[in-house]
Amino acid sequence: MIELITFLILIGVGYFVGQHFESQHYASIKAREKQTLHIPLMTFGAKQTLPHAHEAQMFVGSVVVANDYFKTFSASLRNLVGGRMVVYESLIDRGRREAVLRMKEEAIAWGASQVINIRFETANIAGQQANQASCVEVMAYGTGIR
Amino acid sequence: MGPYVPKEMTEEVNITPIHPLMNLAHLFATVAVTGLLIYGGLGIAASQLATRIGPKTEEKIGAAITASLPVKTVESDSRVAYLEDLLSELQRSVETAKLGKAEYPPLKVRILEMDAENAMVSAGSYLMVTEGLLAAVTSENELAFVLAHELGHLHHRDPLRAMGRSLVFVALGSLLGIGQSTSALPSVVNLAELSYSRQQETTADDYAQALIVAHYGHGARSLGFFERNREPDIGALNKLVEWQQTHPMSSDRIERLKNRFQQKNWPTTGAATPLPENIGCANFTSCN
Repeated sequence: MIELITFLILIGVGYFVGQHFESQHYASIKAREKQTLHIPLMTFGAKQTLPHAHEAQMFVGSVVVANDYFKTFSASLRNLVGGRMVVYESLIDRGRREAVLRMKEEAIAWGASQVINIRFETANIAGQQANQASCVEVMAYGTGIR
Repeated sequence: MGPYVPKEMTEEVNITPIHPLMNLAHLFATVAVTGLLIYGGLGIAASQLATRIGPKTEEKIGAAITASLPVKTVESDSRVAYLEDLLSELQRSVETAKLGKAEYPPLKVRILEMDAENAMVSAGSYLMVTEGLLAAVTSENELAFVLAHELGHLHHRDPLRAMGRSLVFVALGSLLGIGQSTSALPSVVNLAELSYSRQQETTADDYAQALIVAHYGHGARSLGFFERNREPDIGALNKLVEWQQTHPMSSDRIERLKNRFQQKNWPTTGAATPLPENIGCANFTSCN
């Protein structure tokens, strides 16, 4: 019985706190995306000519987003039956957008007119064993030019 | 090419628009329904198996279970032969009592070194009585009723039924050859609550009663042991406790059997058959 109560408390904390942070984070992401909208992010192929630039510098934005208990539990159930990991979609989405924003904000501070050839890297931090903190690192990097 | 006009994205393309709680509820329902189906399926398979399992498989299961018993058995005791004789006499009366043909493996009698008064059967027709029981009975009729009750359990294959859902795993194990090892099976069996249901006890009581009447021609003295070891009456809790314990008979069960003697017009008077002397002691020699 005590185990069940502990579990329900953990699930409750995971859900309410997790949802609260997630909606806050999304609000921040959307506001900052609007602010940085004027700087284009472009990707060029190998045979395309790159835009003319006086200076170029690489910018890296990286973020680590942690899972909450509710998501972990939902995902473990999902693992039994298979299908879309709906709860992890928002986690990864937040990670990617936050990483791009951090990179972009740094480039804007430097004075970039655009950021080209952006790449993503994703790494799983811990999370291989149960009872360990599981989180994901998303890194975005690109070349800022001015 | 015109100048760069920034365009804001308002749609969430990377996130499935489903509420996380709805998603969880859906998952829960799927897992619960599947789990229930498997659990129910195991139950059906187990009850089918209990009636259809072959004597060889049953022997294997029984051997594994009895090998893991925590109680020591009395080795080479002449009382075992006596019990075997009494049991085979009782078995001969099964036909007279019109109880149907029994299809359990041949009986294997064991005496357990245990002071508690009890008797039990396990799969594979292992019939065990405790030394305590042998010391406590005062006539053959009483002992015969207890033995006949256990024969009733065997007749209805209750030991297999009592294993419940774990029977499926045990039977699979013994069919696949894992059952040869005595260590693997009991661990599966321990998972199940090895207890008979109230219904099974009642049926075994009826069986024993009919068998005793057929064997001795009357039911006198047969319930004596149970009456002396009657459960203390504890009022409303009684029903609850009765569910959990099987062998000390409750007053309800004794009363029911007494009424049944009357209903069936079975005689309840007659001479008691005496027990051999010193049955409470090893090899019928006097205890020291």
